[in-house]
Amino acid sequence: MDLQQQNISDNNFESCIKCTICTVYCPVTAVNPDYPGPKQAGPDGERYRLKKPFFYDEALKYCLNCKRCEVACPNNVKIGDIIQAARIKYSSHKPSLRDTMLANTDFMGSMATAMAPIVNFTLGLKPVKLILDKVMKIDNHRTFPKYSSEKFETWFRKEAAEKQEGYARKVSYFHGCYVNYNFPQLGKDLVKVLNALGIGVRLLNGEKCCGVAKIANRCIDEATRDGRQNLKAIREAVERGDDVVATSSTCCFTLRDEYPHLLKLDNHDVRDHIELATRLIYRLIDNGDVKIVFRNDYHKRVAYHVPCHMEKLGWTIYSTSLLKMIPGLEFIHLDSHCCGIAGTYGFKKENYEYSQGIGEPLFRQIKESGCDFVACDCETCKWQIEMSAGVSVLNPVSVLADAIDVEKTMLANSSPS
Amino acid sequence: MENTPRKEYDVIIIGGGATGAGTARDCALRGLKTILAERLDFTAGATGRNHGLLHSGARYAHTDPESASECIKENIILKRIARHCVEETSGLFVTLPEDDLNYQDALVNDCFKAGIHVDVLDPKEAVKIEPAVNPDIIGAVKVPDGSIDPFRLTTANVLDARMHGADIITYHEVIGFEKSGNSITGVRLRNHHNGEETVIHGKVTINAAGIWGHHIAKLAGVNINMYPAKGALLIFGHRVNNMVLNRCRKPGDADILVPADTISIIGTTSTRIPFDEIDHMEVTPEEVDLLLREGEKLSPALAYTRVLRAYAGVRPLVADDSDPTGRSISRGIVCLDHAKRDGLEGFITITGGKLITYRLMAEEATNLACKKLNINKPCETAEIPLPGSEPDSKDEERRAHIIELSTEQKAAEGRHGSWTGKIESRSDSDDALVCECEQVSVAEVNYAINELHVHNLINLRRRTRLGMGTCQGELCACRGAGLLDKHDNCSDRSLKDLASFMEERWHGMYPVCWGETLCEVQFTSWLYQGVMGLGDSHL
Amino acid sequence: MRFDNIIIGGGLSGLIAAVVSQRAGKKTAIISAGQSALHFWSGSFEFLGNIDGNMVIDHPLMEAERLPDSHPYKKIGIPHTAELLSKVAPLLQEAGIKVKGSLERNHYRLTPMGFLKPAWLTLDEYFMADHPSQIEGKKYAIVNIAGYIDFYPNFLRNGLDKHGASCTISAIDIPQLAPLRKSTTEMRATNMSRFLRNDAVDSLAKEINMASRGADEAIVPAVLGMFSDEPVRRLRNQIDRPVNFIATTPASVPGVRCQLSLRDYFIRLGGTFIPGDTVKKGVFDGQRLKRVYTVNFGDMPIEADNFVICTGSFFGHGLIANIDRIYEPIFGLDLNETGDRTKWYDKDFFSPQPYMGTGVTTDSEFRPSLNGHTIENLYATGALLAGFNALKEGSGAGITLATALHAASKICS
Repeated sequence: MDLQQQNISDNNFESCIKCTICTVYCPVTAVNPDYPGPKQAGPDGERYRLKKPFFYDEALKYCLNCKRCEVACPNNVKIGDIIQAARIKYSSHKPSLRDTMLANTDFMGSMATAMAPIVNFTLGLKPVKLILDKVMKIDNHRTFPKYSSEKFETWFRKEAAEKQEGYARKVSYFHGCYVNYNFPQLGKDLVKVLNALGIGVRLLNGEKCCGVAKIANRCIDEATRDGRQNLKAIREAVERGDDVVATSSTCCFTLRDEYPHLLKLDNHDVRDHIELATRLIYRLIDNGDVKIVFRNDYHKRVAYHVPCHMEKLGWTIYSTSLLKMIPGLEFIHLDSHCCGIAGTYGFKKENYEYSQGIGEPLFRQIKESGCDFVACDCETCKWQIEMSAGVSVLNPVSVLADAIDVEKTMLANSSPS
Repeated sequence: MENTPRKEYDVIIIGGGATGAGTARDCALRGLKTILAERLDFTAGATGRNHGLLHSGARYAHTDPESASECIKENIILKRIARHCVEETSGLFVTLPEDDLNYQDALVNDCFKAGIHVDVLDPKEAVKIEPAVNPDIIGAVKVPDGSIDPFRLTTANVLDARMHGADIITYHEVIGFEKSGNSITGVRLRNHHNGEETVIHGKVTINAAGIWGHHIAKLAGVNINMYPAKGALLIFGHRVNNMVLNRCRKPGDADILVPADTISIIGTTSTRIPFDEIDHMEVTPEEVDLLLREGEKLSPALAYTRVLRAYAGVRPLVADDSDPTGRSISRGIVCLDHAKRDGLEGFITITGGKLITYRLMAEEATNLACKKLNINKPCETAEIPLPGSEPDSKDEERRAHIIELSTEQKAAEGRHGSWTGKIESRSDSDDALVCECEQVSVAEVNYAINELHVHNLINLRRRTRLGMGTCQGELCACRGAGLLDKHDNCSDRSLKDLASFMEERWHGMYPVCWGETLCEVQFTSWLYQGVMGLGDSHL
Repeated sequence: MRFDNIIIGGGLSGLIAAVVSQRAGKKTAIISAGQSALHFWSGSFEFLGNIDGNMVIDHPLMEAERLPDSHPYKKIGIPHTAELLSKVAPLLQEAGIKVKGSLERNHYRLTPMGFLKPAWLTLDEYFMADHPSQIEGKKYAIVNIAGYIDFYPNFLRNGLDKHGASCTISAIDIPQLAPLRKSTTEMRATNMSRFLRNDAVDSLAKEINMASRGADEAIVPAVLGMFSDEPVRRLRNQIDRPVNFIATTPASVPGVRCQLSLRDYFIRLGGTFIPGDTVKKGVFDGQRLKRVYTVNFGDMPIEADNFVICTGSFFGHGLIANIDRIYEPIFGLDLNETGDRTKWYDKDFFSPQPYMGTGVTTDSEFRPSLNGHTIENLYATGALLAGFNALKEGSGAGITLATALHAASKICS
C-alpha cells in the first residue's frame, strides 16, 4: 500500500518518542526551572497547541534557541524550531521598546558608529549602565561591545573594493552587523586571507542584518522584510557566479536555516551557496585548489569554543582543522558548551543570571586552560567570553590572518596583484 | 469511594457505561435508593471504545429520521449540561469526486425535517475553514457535530449519582438473580478483587449492560435478540483536523474523522462477531488497511500521520435475524419492560441507542422504574448541569486567570472543568507531571485514586488520560504504578498490574506496529523488560 | 576530508570501536546523528543472562556454546569472544568508568522494580550481589529524594524482602533542590545531578546518613555524577555505611556519564567526534565503500579506508519500518526481514518479538552486503545486526562490545 510509507509532520514533532535526551543537553533547564524544558515546550506542548492556541505557555520565551536539543535528539526532531515557531505563532506578548532596540542592530549600529567615541565612552560609564538597568532592564553587569568610528562597508569601498576586481575568482561577503559597526578588523582579516589565496571579495548589494535578534525578539515582520532583501542580494551574487561567505556562525545559520524554518522564506535555490568562510577555505585547501603558507614565528596556545549554532551547522571541523594547520599553534580542545549569552538574551536583566549560570562551566574551563586566547566563530560568544572569562577572543579567520605569511602564500598561489 | 453495599435498594443498575451511569444519576436525582454495579470498570464496554462523536444526527437523517431527531435534541442538551466533556467543533459532510452529489441535497432536506440546522458551503470555503480536508471535495455541508469525551462524561454522571446518595461499586459482576415467584428481587454479585459473593436486593433491576446485557437477560431467564457488531478505529498522533469530517454518502466504513482532545480518530467498520469474542477483540490488518485507505480520502494527511494505536468496540444492536451486516439496523433506543414482554416483574432492559442519547435512554429507563415503584418525580437530568459543567459565576475572572497558567494547568482545567479545584495540590511535588504527553500531575492522579474509583492503571488511564498520549505509557506507566502502590501497599499486585497495563497498551499498538510506533515500543520494551526486569518469567 | 577509519553511530558500539581504532594510531572519526541508547543504561552490561527460558548465572561462557551457530558470539567463537570482552573493563577504566564483574560468573543487579537480574559488568557504585543469599538478613535503608517519582522504594523493598532482607523507606530533602522542584517536568535524574555538586553533595550526605542510621547499607537513586564519579565518591566518603545506587529511567545519570566519558576519552586520544549529523549516502567503487556524504557536510564527502556501521536498531533509526517493509536507511543494506508486517510482532507484549531479531545480515567477518554482494571494507556491529533477541537473552551489551572489538581489530590491521 502506498500510504504510511513515511511519517511527515512539522519539524518532525511526531517523531518524538519521549526519550527525554533533549532535556539532558538543554543549557537552560540546568539553571532556570521556570523553563518547561525542550520536550515539554516542544513536541509535548505542540500537540496541545494544535488543539487550541490557548494552550501556549509564555515560559517558552526562556528558550535560548541554541538548538542543542536538536543536535542531541536521536530521532531528528527539530525541537528548537518547534519552540521558536510556537513563540512566533502563538505568543501574545508584544516586543517591548528595549527588545525592539536590542533587536534593531542596523539602526542602533548606524546611529552609534556616527558618534562612536562618545557612545563607547558613555556606555562604559557605571551610572549610565545603572540607568539602562532600571529603565530599560538591560542588566548593568553587561559590557557593551565598542562601536567603530568607521563602518566596514565604508572602509571596504574606500580601501579594498578596487583591488578585488583583479581576482579571477571572487566571493561575496555577508559581513553582518558586528563586523560592520563594531569590529571591521575581522572583515579586513578576511579580505587579507582570501586575497592571499588568490580570491577576491565583493560586498552584497544592500545587505541587511541577518535578523536573528529580530526573530528572537519577535519582530517578525521586520525580520522577514530584511530577509527578503538579503535573499535578493544573495541571489544577485549567485547569479554573477559568486558564492556567499560569512564569518559569523550565527549569521550563516540564520540565512541558511532560520529563514526557511521560521520566516517561511524559501531559499532552497541559494542555501547551498551560503557557507562559512572557514568551510570555503578548508575545501579549497583540501581539494588542492589553493595553498596556504604560515609564518614560522607564530606561537600561540589557542582554545577553540564551539558556538551553539556552529554545532548545529556541523561545521566545527572546518574551523578547527584550519587552526590545526598552523604549525606554531597549540590547539586546546574545550568541551562544547553554551556560553549563555544567546545574543540579546543575556543583555536582558531578567535573563542575566541564567546566562551567567549557563556559561559558568565554560568560563572555568577557559580560565584553567592556560590559553593565550580563545578562537570562536560567533561574535556574541566573543563578548560573553571576554567579559566573563577575561580572555580575548578571535575569529578563526583573524587567527589565519595573523598567522599567514602573505607573501609566501601569494607566491604559492601565483595570484595577480 | 466504594461503600459496603446496603441490603435493600429501590433500584439496582447493572452496567457502568454511560447508560448505566446516566440511569444511576437520574434515579438518584429522583430520590431513589440506588446502587450501580459494574462488572469491571466504568466505560470498559462500548462507552470507552466508540468514536467520541457528538452526533448532530445528520448521518441518520435519511435512514432513521426518528434517531436523527433524538440525536440533535440530545446534542443540544449535552452542550449545555456536559460543557466540560464536549468540544463544539462543528462538522462537515463532504462529497468526494467519486461520490454522488445528489446525496447532499437529500441530506440537507432530511436534516431540515429532523430539526438539524445545517449550512451548505462552497467547497473552497470548506477547505479554507478546515485545511485538513481533501482539497478535491465537490460538496460540503456544515453541521452541528462536536466531539465528546465519554470517560469524562461517565465519570461526571457517576459523581452526581454518588453526590445524591447512590452507591457505586466496580469489579462486581452479576452472576445470578434472586427471584420470588415471577419477580426479580435482587442480584448475586461476585467481587473480582477477592472472589467473594454477595447478594443485594432491589425492587427494580435495570439491565444497562450493553452487549453483555444479552447474557444478563439470559441469567434472568429471558431472551433478547442482540447482535454484537464490532467496529474498529484508529487513533492518530495529533489533531489532524479541527472539525469533524463526515463522508456525504450512504453510511459506510471509515467515513468519519473526529478530532478528540489531542488526537484524531478515524472510524469505523462493522463486522458481526460471535458472543465469545466480545471480550477479546482484535483489530485485523485488513481493518487497519481499510481505515487508512478510506480515511485518507477524507483527509490526505492521514497517509503520513503517525498512527498511535488501533482499538475496537462492540455495538449492542437489537435486530431481526434476517439482517447480517448490522449496518441498516436502527440505532434506536430499545427499552424493554420484561413484565409486559416476558411476564417477569421487577426487570427492565435498556439497550440500543448510541453514546449521545445515553441521557434519554436513562430517562426512559428511570421513568419506567418509577412507574413500577409508583413514584411520581419528573426527570431533571436535561436541566441540571453535570459536576464540572456548572456555570461558573466567576467565568470571566477564571478565564483571565487561566490564560496565565502553564500548559499542564490548562489541561487539567479542560479535563475536570469547574471541579478542577477539588484537585488538591499541597506542594510543588504534587504539581509534578506523571504523564507528560497528556499533562497529568501527581495531584490529579492522587485525586483520581481517592475519589474516582481507581483500583489499577487501566482505571487511572480512563479517568485521567495517563498513558493515552504518543508514548503510550513508556514514560508514565511506571510512575503511575509507583503512585498507585503508595495507596495500595501491595507491590506484587502493583507490579502485575503494571505488566497488565503494558500488555493492554501493546494490544492496541501491534496492529499499527510500524514507523515511530515500532520505534516507541522497542524503546518501551528495553526500559520495562530490560532495565526494570518486568515480565521475566523466572523473576 | 580523509580519515583512516570512519565509525557511523556514536553509541556504545561505535565509541568502543573508535577508541580502539584511534589508540592503534588510525585517524578515526565518529559521525553520530544524535545521542545514543547508552543514555538509558541500567548501569550493568550483560553477556548472557537467559538461555532456553532459564536464567544464566554460573558458567555463562559454557552456556553460550549452546547458542545457534549464526549467533554473533558463535560466529566470533566463544573463546575469542571471551578474549575480546576481557579488554572491556580495562578500556572503560581508562575512560574513567569503573566496573566490577567477570565473564566466569554472572552476578546479580537490582532493577528499579526490585528484581534481581543477571549481569556481567556493573558500575562500581551500583547495587550488586553475587548471590541472593548475600541479601538475607541485611538491613537496607532505601532513601529517596522527596518529590522524585522515577524511583520506587516500595518495589525495591518488596524485592529485597523476598530474599530475606528488611528495609526501611524514607524520603529526604535538601534546600539546594528546592528551585528544581518548582519545575513540573524537569525534576529528572539528569537535572538533579547538575544541582547535586559540591556543598549540595555534603548536605545530601548528611541527610542520607541520618535517614540510614541503623541500617547495614543505604540504597539511593542514581542521581549523582553526570560528568564524573567525583560527586559519588564525595558522597560515599561522608556516609558511615556502604551506599549503593539503583538505575533510574528514562535517561540515566551513569548512562550519560558513560557516554560522555567514552566520547571525551576518544577525543583526548585525538579522535574526531562529529555530533548531530546523519550519513545520507555512500559512494562505492566495486565492492568497496569509498566515501560518505552527510547532511551537514553537504557536497563535501568524507573518505576512509574502512567504515564501521553501528547505527543501532529501530530506536535512533538504524532500521526504519514503514507499513510494508523494513529497511536500513543509509545504504539500503541487505536485511533478514520479511515484508509482511504481521510477522514482525508477537501479540503478547512480554513474549519474544520477531522485530527485535530483524537486522543487517553479514558474512563471517560481520561485513554486510548490498543486493547480495558483500562490502569489503564495511563492518556492522551491535543492535543493527540480525538474528538474535538481545532483550530476551540478556546479551545486548556483550554483542555490542564483542562485535565492536572484532570490527576494530579488522580495521586496525
